[in-house]
Amino acid sequence: MDSSVPDFVLFLGRFHPLIVHLPIGFLFFAFILELYGSWNKNSMLSIPISVALFCGTISAFLACALGYMLSLGGDYDQNMLDTHFWFGIATTIVAFFAWAISSGRLNISKFKYLKTNIATLTLVVFLLSITGHYGGNLTHGSDYLLKYSPFGRKEKVELPTVTHLNEAVVYEYLVNPILEAKCISCHNSSKMKGGLSLQDSLGMVKGGKNGEAFIAGDVDNSEMLRRVMLNSNHKDYMPPEGKTPLTDEEKSILIFWVDKVNADFKLKMADLEASEEITSIASTMLGLEDISGKGGITLPKSQTIDSEVLSEIEDAGFVIRELIFESGLYEIVLVPKSITSKNGDDLEVNLEKLLPIKDRIIWLSLKDNFVQDKHLKTISKFKNLQKLEIEKNPITDSGVSELSASQNITGLNLYQTKITALSFENFTKMKGLQRVYVWGTSITQEQVDNFVSKENRPAIILGI
Amino acid sequence: MGNHHDKLRSNNRDLQDIERQFDRREFFKKTSLGIGALALNSLLNPEKLWSAVDPLAGQQNIQAKNKLGMPHHLPKAKRIIYLFQSGGPSHLDLFDYKPKLTDMFGQDLPDSIRAGQRLTGMSADQTAFPIAGSTLNFKQYGESRAWVSDAMPYLSEVVDDLCFIKGMHTDAINHDPAITFFLTGSQQPGRPSIGSWVSYGLGSDNNNLPTFISLVSNNGSGQPLYSRLWGNGFLPTEHQGVQFRSGKDPVLYLGDPENYDGNDRRQMLDYLKKLNGIAYDAYGDPEIKARIAQYEMAFRMQTSVPEVTDTSDEPDYIFDMYGPDSRTPGTYAANCLMARKLLEKDVKFVQLFHQGWDQHDNCPGGIKHQSKNTDQGTAALIKDLKQRGMLEDTLVVWGGEFGRTVYSQGQLTATNYGRDHHPKAFTMFMAGAGVKPGFTYGETDDFGYNVVKDPVHTHDFQATLLHLFGIDHERMTYKHQGRRFRLTDVHGHVVKDILS
Repeated sequence: MDSSVPDFVLFLGRFHPLIVHLPIGFLFFAFILELYGSWNKNSMLSIPISVALFCGTISAFLACALGYMLSLGGDYDQNMLDTHFWFGIATTIVAFFAWAISSGRLNISKFKYLKTNIATLTLVVFLLSITGHYGGNLTHGSDYLLKYSPFGRKEKVELPTVTHLNEAVVYEYLVNPILEAKCISCHNSSKMKGGLSLQDSLGMVKGGKNGEAFIAGDVDNSEMLRRVMLNSNHKDYMPPEGKTPLTDEEKSILIFWVDKVNADFKLKMADLEASEEITSIASTMLGLEDISGKGGITLPKSQTIDSEVLSEIEDAGFVIRELIFESGLYEIVLVPKSITSKNGDDLEVNLEKLLPIKDRIIWLSLKDNFVQDKHLKTISKFKNLQKLEIEKNPITDSGVSELSASQNITGLNLYQTKITALSFENFTKMKGLQRVYVWGTSITQEQVDNFVSKENRPAIILGI
Repeated sequence: MGNHHDKLRSNNRDLQDIERQFDRREFFKKTSLGIGALALNSLLNPEKLWSAVDPLAGQQNIQAKNKLGMPHHLPKAKRIIYLFQSGGPSHLDLFDYKPKLTDMFGQDLPDSIRAGQRLTGMSADQTAFPIAGSTLNFKQYGESRAWVSDAMPYLSEVVDDLCFIKGMHTDAINHDPAITFFLTGSQQPGRPSIGSWVSYGLGSDNNNLPTFISLVSNNGSGQPLYSRLWGNGFLPTEHQGVQFRSGKDPVLYLGDPENYDGNDRRQMLDYLKKLNGIAYDAYGDPEIKARIAQYEMAFRMQTSVPEVTDTSDEPDYIFDMYGPDSRTPGTYAANCLMARKLLEKDVKFVQLFHQGWDQHDNCPGGIKHQSKNTDQGTAALIKDLKQRGMLEDTLVVWGGEFGRTVYSQGQLTATNYGRDHHPKAFTMFMAGAGVKPGFTYGETDDFGYNVVKDPVHTHDFQATLLHLFGIDHERMTYKHQGRRFRLTDVHGHVVKDILS
């Protein structure tokens, strides 16, 4: 805070937003009385009008004085402040003249044909509105008023969606959204509380009155982080009481940005080494649910699925379970023995029903349902599948080869199928594959030992 | 409801009818908050109107199933088998190998280790606390080189699938509060059990069987178990665990009486449902809906239970794997086999209880006896789940309510000793869905008395279990008596280090 300004002046200055409503009320009221009086030719109103104008002038003067004191604190954008300042003074002066005219102390005979009373009052209201508007912009920010207006609304510049975490610029995609949600209503370029603006990189680098907000690599001395990390009862704690505090995850992201990204504005996740925790928080923030926990395979973004589509799938005999609430990601189960060799042709038709949500199926279980090789061609289209249970089905090696392009499957259950060791080659093509269950097939322990002895091979699980 | 203050009611017949629809509590609930909250709810989210009131509606539609907003994140586990070893198995004689104790055998436990910790009334007035190193032999097994004593030869074959937590600790020192604490999150009775919470949060995957089933083996005996350990507490009744009896008939009275063909049962139930529906319309008590649901469940269980509990079609090599006991219904091994069958049918939560791990005296012999009854079944279950690919999304948990003391309770001889209850350190293991296989987490001191690295509290364990099911333990709450309750109360941290 500017030390040359005594605290008492600032204390008084803070009453400006309170007092400022008095002249607004008085002067508007005078205007309304004037209109009403001239409409029904009631000359009795001239006294209340001049009283209202008198009170309005005095309180406007007071508001100006207090406003000046408040401005000495220096929390505001200078240009906008100047405009507000001069319009405020103009309003006060014109109001004074309006009072002088209406009370008869000033007689401007030259303008006999002009209704001086109405004219000056109209001017007062006009000036008052402009002053008030600028005042509002100073306190709430210039985009406050029209943010939710139905017309002429500027669409916020949407960041292009990232499909993989590595493409995300840390500042743009992770840091800025947090600041926008929790900080910039008070720290923007027009309302710079504590002299700090977090609206753009310029203001962030500049910092505030109490020092640099972000010091690359130095979490402890970065004023912004110091304040958000304080105990919420501390007087320096940010955001102040009544505003939504930052969550632990948001704090972690900010710390990561200052500490590991050196408060850089351009670096992408790909350029950095992030801990599991950060990857997982970041994935959630971007709607890329992180499943492997290691930032490897990412899930598609949340999306609502039409309930009619789901009903049709359920009618086809599938059980649907949403894996994460309102994510539109599903586990699909066909109850064992729904399909047997007798109605084997139905399966193809049923599987077609799944195609509208093919990218939303993460787990699929078709065990013991007479699944044949041809059906796996359809299943291979489910590109986000991670777990596939197709045990106890007449599947052969050629069926498994259909799956060789499914890179996201981590667990594959082929227990009691007709596959042989020839399928091993296809397993190596499936890059995400970690575990394959092959008990009850012709595959022997020896073949398995031989296969897994090499690097980067999925575990092949046999039984007794 | 309502009838107990009939004398105070109006003489006017029409008014009586209206009065009867509410008792005092219902009245306040419905008029003050109920309707307002309902209106607000419908305003904010029109499709969800009425949803909370009707527990049956949810069973049909996928959208409706998710009313509680769970899972919160992608689950790893679809189902769980919790092998509860009641009585407090000695970690020192099974998994927590302490070679230094052999040299200190018979010496007094240093005060710096016990640090004035309270003991049970059974050993508090002992004049000496002689250190009793385990007389069992320990060896390292598998690629993970995990230590297991020779009491558990079968389990030692599967250590590479297990995740040992050696830094477990809990709050209670006696059986009843400790088990209640472990399974309900509170030492005082009255809270819902873990299985009920899971059932409440995620619902059922098999409408023909209960979501939560408990099995108590008949070849262990000791401290009693109570139905509250699988009870629903204040949660709606349909979430309580259903206990399958150990023995030939796991659920009584499911079979039809002699000379009854069962043909009109459906008709009888339909009328009963109608009657209950009338009662529900009058009182609006959700417990009536729960009752209707239970009758329907019982009806479906008439066919589903005999089918799932029939082990006659299991091949001999499966019985051989689970051991000779598995052919005797009700034993631990037979229950392990039954558990696998239940899990195969997508029962979400199966909990086995085996009593008798309370070795106050004759610890070496007792441990061997207990292990003999459980070791082969446990190991076989893990192998069996694994070969069927079910370990992929089934969580296996093995553990008791606390550990045992390093000092001998009662007389220490070269071959015999007893061990008292010890809440400050013990070992559990998990396997399967979402936990690291072949991994050991946490460490105790040289006496196996205090946790020195990576402690895991009971609430942490509960939080982790829920986490594996996709549930954030801080967000799954149930409002009761004006307060929102959680399984972990206000505690618990997910043990991220053991997650795969």
